[in-house]
Amino acid sequence: MTLFSIAKKNMKMNFRHYFLYFASMIFSIVIYFTFVSLKYDQTIQATSDGSTKISSAFSGAAVVLIIFVAIFIWYSNSFFTRKRKKEVGLYSLLGVRKKQIGQMLFYENLIMGLLALIIGIAIGSVLSKLFVALLMKLMGYEVVGNFSISIAAIINTVIVFSLITLIASFQGYRLIYRFKLIELFQAEKEGEKESSASFLIALLSIILIGSGYWIALQNLMDSKVWRTLGLMVTPMVILVTVVLGTYFLFSTLTVYLLKLSRKNKKSYWKGINIIGTSQLLYRMKGNARTLTVIAVLSATTLTAVCTAYSMYYNNRTNAEKFNPNSFMFIDTNNHVSQKVQSIVNKSKNHQVIYHETIPTLEMKADITGFKNEFYGNELMYTVISNHDFNKLAKEQKHNENLTLKGNEAVVLDATYMDSISPAYVGSAISFKTNKKVQHITVTDFKKYSVFNLYTAQNSIVISDELFARLQSEIKPLNIEAYKITDDDDAKQLSKDIQAIVPEKANLSSFYANYATGLESSGLMIFMGGFLGLVFLAATGSIIYFKQLTEAGADKDRYEILHKIGVKKKEIRKSIAKQILFIFVLPLLAGITHCAVALTALSNLMQTNLVVPVVICMGIYTIAYIVYYFLTVHSYYKIVIKTK
Amino acid sequence: MKTILQAKNVEKVFGAKGNAFTALKNITLEIKEGEFVGVMGPSGAGKSTLLNIFSTIDAASSGEINIDGKNIVTMKEEQLSDFRRDKLGFIFQDYNLLDTLTVRENILLPLALSNVPVKEIETRVEKIADTFGIREILDKYPYHISGGQKQRAAASRAIVTNPSLILADEPTGALDSKSATSLLESLSALNENNKSTIMMVTHDAFAASFCKRIVFIKDGQLYKELHKEGQTRKVFFQEVLDVLASLGGGHNDTI
Repeated sequence: MTLFSIAKKNMKMNFRHYFLYFASMIFSIVIYFTFVSLKYDQTIQATSDGSTKISSAFSGAAVVLIIFVAIFIWYSNSFFTRKRKKEVGLYSLLGVRKKQIGQMLFYENLIMGLLALIIGIAIGSVLSKLFVALLMKLMGYEVVGNFSISIAAIINTVIVFSLITLIASFQGYRLIYRFKLIELFQAEKEGEKESSASFLIALLSIILIGSGYWIALQNLMDSKVWRTLGLMVTPMVILVTVVLGTYFLFSTLTVYLLKLSRKNKKSYWKGINIIGTSQLLYRMKGNARTLTVIAVLSATTLTAVCTAYSMYYNNRTNAEKFNPNSFMFIDTNNHVSQKVQSIVNKSKNHQVIYHETIPTLEMKADITGFKNEFYGNELMYTVISNHDFNKLAKEQKHNENLTLKGNEAVVLDATYMDSISPAYVGSAISFKTNKKVQHITVTDFKKYSVFNLYTAQNSIVISDELFARLQSEIKPLNIEAYKITDDDDAKQLSKDIQAIVPEKANLSSFYANYATGLESSGLMIFMGGFLGLVFLAATGSIIYFKQLTEAGADKDRYEILHKIGVKKKEIRKSIAKQILFIFVLPLLAGITHCAVALTALSNLMQTNLVVPVVICMGIYTIAYIVYYFLTVHSYYKIVIKTK
Repeated sequence: MKTILQAKNVEKVFGAKGNAFTALKNITLEIKEGEFVGVMGPSGAGKSTLLNIFSTIDAASSGEINIDGKNIVTMKEEQLSDFRRDKLGFIFQDYNLLDTLTVRENILLPLALSNVPVKEIETRVEKIADTFGIREILDKYPYHISGGQKQRAAASRAIVTNPSLILADEPTGALDSKSATSLLESLSALNENNKSTIMMVTHDAFAASFCKRIVFIKDGQLYKELHKEGQTRKVFFQEVLDVLASLGGGHNDTI
């Protein structure tokens, strides 16, 4: 019997044990292969016109994936080898040479790695087709059917995973040399010291997290902390305080609270509580590091996915905000304008909701009155009359009716941001005409514009009488504005108009803006979702593996309990409670960290992220719940199936 | 006197047809309240199987078993758990203390499981700790105390609920002779003073000599019974040794 055949036999007989490791390897390979084949996929490459943005995004994400997958495989491998310590010890005791055992383990790993590679690539080929379709849909492209398996992707995957398998196999080989025979036989170390918890460190954990949060939520512009530490150092400080705080939270504060709860004999000495609490206390310290890693990973994943998703989600809102009109351009040539009108009218798929020709004035303004360093001293303004503004605002469903008099003016600023944009109300600015300087007073501002941002960057509304007076001095420019139905689907129309309108007309189209946003945010959400899925699966599996290891060690305890008359139902309940604790802690910490990070982000970006974030967190939580029930079930089975 | 345990024609067969092994055959046994019964026999005779069946951890293949007037054969899993908790106390060879709990918590565990009020738990634990002389180690963890102390803690846990029947499986198996003697004396005193009913499986003649009655099992069947009835422990011990010698294959652990 050769070592190779022993290795093969081992795997056949121990399939259940191998299965977990095997499954996690296949999972990693499927994910990686799918990702790489997307990168090499011709459909995607062709549609995105070899855009460097997409290919570099894919490469970056691929690196993150490799690192993660390597860590994940390493973790499940070490979980798996630990399980087989005794078996290895037995071989050694029977007089098999260390070198031979090592070779055997090496072969086992190798066979498994190769099998996983084949199966993974097979599953991956099917899945990647699905993912291409999904990605195309998210990015707003029409799906092209001819997807083929890319040879380059297969080669890439084979190389990466052969390397990882090889390293894992060597680790298996080294296992036998790392341990002494006596260690291989020693049972789980008994009498680990109970976790100690000092009040000071427990308090410190709260202070650390609290101060991290506090700094993160400071206003970037006027915070002393940000100013003194700088934009590069402060995020690092936040990261370190929060991560450290989370670790102490898990290692000390929870232990401290559990110990406090133990003092309440009425609840502690009631039913199976005594078991659950003492078990948790006993385990908490060993779990603290894993839980911290999982909490931080969850927070990162959630933040990234939520950000990507909210960009995708807000794409329409933003496109609408910056393009209130479906098309808008400056009337540079009467002939062109007429042509555009006939194209729009002839379009079968779209009805015209309104078409306006608005007279405007392009004027340079002295804006020293704003006293704002970001804006400088001079700015070109597109000036519109009170009357025309009211008309457009009504058509764009803004509930607004201005009645400006004399030198009063209202600024329209769709990109307004608190504390960055000037304090408009009450400030005085002036327009220079050929002959004189016209002073005006800003009485109000709106956080939207009636013009598309690209065509008219800065707009201001003035009274009709002032407009009439200025109009006599400067030649007005007419702006053409269209609103049509189904403007998010106006690819052809948008293209046709673009073809005839000259560059200097500053054509802006809702569709073009919307489609570009969809493309980049669709890609981001895809990457974010993809990586998020991997992280989620990995963190879930890590808790799962860890709990199952502990189940093995706890088996005897539950057997004793069963003997002295604890019902299986009660045991199940207690296990469910303990595992819930382990699952909820990192999830809660992760969600809270993420919520704070996103609050800071949405303050910065001035967008409302609530709906997309709640959806993301909901999905994440549901996936965690699934893992939870899976873990409880497996744990219970291990612990109860003693006879 | 009340009958605590009544077993009639108990049989236990392991394995399926064709490959069956009969571990217990036609065992009929009665234990009255306040008895201290020892079960002896060579390895593989079926002592532990019998104890497991009486402890409701294992089920008999056929026969009738009543403990404290309740028929345990017809009970369901859940009922059996309750029954074990309320009516039986266990002492195992390897102590079976939970290492995540202090000695005090280990002892009060059965009480906590039955939702006994905190005040009563406290007084009962103190009392029992005094009986076994382990008051000063109550707040230590099992890995900080000696084997003898562990076994006394385990015994405390077994009787803290005032069970109808205490089942002990080789309780002195892992103890040195001094600790063993002290434990056996405690059990003996418990039996004398509290009228506790104890059934103890042992292969050690010295341990068995503390019992009032000894049942010998051979090849799954009752072989012989000895009664102490006023003899000194030393004489009884000699008698046990004689029976063991006639059984053959038995251990002769001397003092």
